[in-house]
Amino acid sequence: MTRILKSIEEFEGEVSESLVIVDGHDLPPARHDGGSPEIGRSRRRIDATQRVTGRARYTQDLYLAGMLHARILRSPHARARVRRIDTKRAEALPGVRGVLHRFNTPKTPFRGDDVIFREEVRFVGEEVCAVAADDEDTAREALALIEVDYERLPHVVDLEEALGDVAPQLESDGNVSESGSHKRGDTKRALKEADVAVDVTYRTSTQLHNALETHGAVALYDGEMLTVWESTQHVFGVRTGLKNALKLPYSRIRVICDYMGGGFGAKNGVGKYTIVASLFAMRFGKAVRCVLTRDEENLAAGNRSATLQQLRLGAKGGRITAIEHTSWSNSGQGKWIANPTGPTNTLYEVANVNTRSYKVVTNAGSLSAFRAPGYVEGAFALESAIDELAEAAGVDPLTLRRRHAGAGKDPITGNRYSDKHLLECYRIGAKEIGWDRRRAGGTRGSAPHRRRGIGMASQIWGGGGGPPAYATVHVDPDGSVVLTAGTQDIGTGTRTVLAQICADELGVELDDVRVQIGDSAGPFGPMSAGSMTLASVGPAVRLAAHDAREQLLGAAAGVLETPKAELRLEAGAIVSKGARTPLGEVLGKVDNNTVIGKGIRFPNADDLAQKTFSAQFAEVEVDVRTGEIFVERIVAALDVGRIVNPLTAASQVEGGVIQGIGFALSEERIVDRALGRVMSGNLEGYKVPTVKDVPTIVVKFVDRPDRRANNLGAKGLGEPPIIPTAAAIANAVANATGARVRHSPLTRARVLEALALAGIRD
Amino acid sequence: MTVLAGGTDLMVELNFGRRRPEHIVAIDRVGELAGIERNGHVRMGAGVTYTRMLADAGSQALAEAARTIGSPQIRNAGTIGGNLGTASPAGDTLPVLAALEATVVLRSKAGERRVPFADYMTGPKKSVRRADELIVAAEWDEAGPAQTYMFVSTRNAMAISIAGLAMVVDRARKRVGIGLGSCGPTIIRPADAEGFARGLFDEAGWERPHRPSESAAKELGRLVAAAARPIDDVRGTAAYRRHALAVMGARALSRVAQIA
Repeated sequence: MTRILKSIEEFEGEVSESLVIVDGHDLPPARHDGGSPEIGRSRRRIDATQRVTGRARYTQDLYLAGMLHARILRSPHARARVRRIDTKRAEALPGVRGVLHRFNTPKTPFRGDDVIFREEVRFVGEEVCAVAADDEDTAREALALIEVDYERLPHVVDLEEALGDVAPQLESDGNVSESGSHKRGDTKRALKEADVAVDVTYRTSTQLHNALETHGAVALYDGEMLTVWESTQHVFGVRTGLKNALKLPYSRIRVICDYMGGGFGAKNGVGKYTIVASLFAMRFGKAVRCVLTRDEENLAAGNRSATLQQLRLGAKGGRITAIEHTSWSNSGQGKWIANPTGPTNTLYEVANVNTRSYKVVTNAGSLSAFRAPGYVEGAFALESAIDELAEAAGVDPLTLRRRHAGAGKDPITGNRYSDKHLLECYRIGAKEIGWDRRRAGGTRGSAPHRRRGIGMASQIWGGGGGPPAYATVHVDPDGSVVLTAGTQDIGTGTRTVLAQICADELGVELDDVRVQIGDSAGPFGPMSAGSMTLASVGPAVRLAAHDAREQLLGAAAGVLETPKAELRLEAGAIVSKGARTPLGEVLGKVDNNTVIGKGIRFPNADDLAQKTFSAQFAEVEVDVRTGEIFVERIVAALDVGRIVNPLTAASQVEGGVIQGIGFALSEERIVDRALGRVMSGNLEGYKVPTVKDVPTIVVKFVDRPDRRANNLGAKGLGEPPIIPTAAAIANAVANATGARVRHSPLTRARVLEALALAGIRD
Repeated sequence: MTVLAGGTDLMVELNFGRRRPEHIVAIDRVGELAGIERNGHVRMGAGVTYTRMLADAGSQALAEAARTIGSPQIRNAGTIGGNLGTASPAGDTLPVLAALEATVVLRSKAGERRVPFADYMTGPKKSVRRADELIVAAEWDEAGPAQTYMFVSTRNAMAISIAGLAMVVDRARKRVGIGLGSCGPTIIRPADAEGFARGLFDEAGWERPHRPSESAAKELGRLVAAAARPIDDVRGTAAYRRHALAVMGARALSRVAQIA
């Protein structure tokens, strides 16, 4: 029976309610007895061969016949009014097809603005013009021939400078606006009554995504359909963005993302490059490619906000009694911020909490979601501060956390957790790292000038996913299977785990399932963000496979003249009392041609909080003379529900830890305050970890299905592993040296400064 | 005329639009430039790659410097001639060549000239090489095993050094050479530090390994740092560079003094 149900979803720290049309019933939780043929098995990626042989086609690889190349002219000024644009010389260049800019481009609503080329450009790298030409070099050459008359305006790029009185005010209501707060209990009183308190300020620098594949799109218009290939985390989001910008109906836009080289949150929706490519494609009736360079990627494709965070914590009788946390985030030209106080609000059971976060506008590129946005920055501050409090109170930091990590309810909504094993994560992680080897004040390192230490930190995050998400399973007459689902594989291994779920439930071999995703022509699905893909799409896939299996068994009952109850579908064959009939043989006897199973994601319970939890433990050595940090070992123990594929899951964790190490030690966007220019605009200046920076990473899963979450019992895993890494490392460094570095990344210079402050430098 | 050997610097310049040469001549397959001759004296052809320097190529410090450079792909392409041609203060082989008191061999239609490394670099990415000259080799006297190269950077691999230091103690010739990278407009030779180190070896005996006192190592570091002329940039501050040099100076001395 078709009906409407209420659902509660959490997306990156924000909880919302939705209404979903459903039909039929959800499946009971999948069995977890080790007997599943696919779920819980390590499988290499089903597209591994395609990827490593270079056959997998990414957006950047797409060269269509007669394709034009678009390139974007970007503002060299941090803030300026575009008064006049002269494109005569550019247009006269042979091979140039056209130029778009604010004086000739129709209104194309984009993220709150009604144009893509603004009169006032507000950061170095903001889009001013776009050129389409027959080839990329000509387009680039044409950019240099465009003359723009800028009226320069005063700017501010630095977070703390923007907070001050002398900074130019960029919005009518100033640079600073409140974006969220939470209060429970009475922190003032609790702090007054505390035995010990710490009052500390933390800073985190701007981190850039730098996915392997830069942002980009190829658009093709044939007079009826606009087809866009894009490196995106959400084909349907790009479709919506194009619908709004270009006023085309959904039915005439198709967005495809077959393979992509990562996004980390920066590719959640339509980009100006998509609109540029589409506008040119519609004007010229040709394919148009607009792909960003690495430098453009680091200017105008999003970032993790720099933050300034103040925390006051109090403890009494060896327990945390109060946390105050105020945070300011540099949103650049972004219209929102990711909330760094999220972990403070929810991670621990503490009676008195008071948090507030502020958005600070500056003349820098917009923030965008970045793998656990807000929580990475917030966890660095909170989890460092908890260690500082533990030290002040003379309590082992893990013991202190244990006292507050057992709560069964979300402290904000009061809803019970669908499941929670944070204490188990502590137990597993502590054992694996050898927490009992940890000594207050650290131990001697492998050389006289080296100190060794152990630290840990924990994490909370959503990842329960939710509706809407849809899947279909087509079984062809030969018994081969096509699974179509509304999602895209952004590099996480989605194709593989969905194929496993389908094969498992349907009863066919993994190799028999072909997965068709990343196409808005198929059923709808959510953004691959917020660690919600598996928990949203997986249950729909299971239901679709179940639906198909029921139909196949019904058909087989007729063909084999055996009661359905006596039939099973196993490894691609109908099994009846020991006799195996291949599926193709059964289907060959009827003329249906295709069996179609359908599945949807059923709603979440509206009285439960679905969360993921984990803890990470770091062991480091610190050279106290040069300030170098050597991360030797990271242990990650995670509670993310049931693990569908231990191999790809571990690989997700490793990736998150490595990106967390980058955030902790070397990744930092550096901007020249006077000119507003990004000085670390490519991979030479911006240091992501290399293989030599990667320590031993031990991954442990609690691996217990969250039966109240969804029919798979699985939750998301993309973001949890990056959240606690930096704090675990900073806590290990503090344990090793006695010096607390309160600014990530913990560069050599910052470590030395902290050592000097602690009086440890010789 | 622009020549291309490994292209690890030139291609960056081209890709960033900083240079648009009319003609480029690739010299990476000129066999005459790729030889290494050794007989107490080393003549290393300009086309020798970093990968080849990793193996014994006439200087332990040079091998250590080569190991710090880039990724395997970069080490397979980049050459000592390219490092000399670019003449960046951050060129990792250059502090070693300075410490070895190497000679740069330049050739043009007018003939060959031999320039002591100390006279070769004149500023950041500037040298005495004339536009019509090709770097054909670097030469130096083999100095024995007491030598090392150290650097600090912003991460553990594939990163331009924030500060680099080469130290060569030629026990046979009773000579100490120190070269400092990334801490001035050219590679710096800290004369006072070298003099101080010579004094230490005079005292301890040139032929024997010894363990320098902590205070001596520290003093050497101080003299090294005092000679540097670092600047603040994206990679690090002048203060950090100076500090790092002091630490590396002390460590380098402790390491090489124990090698004989």
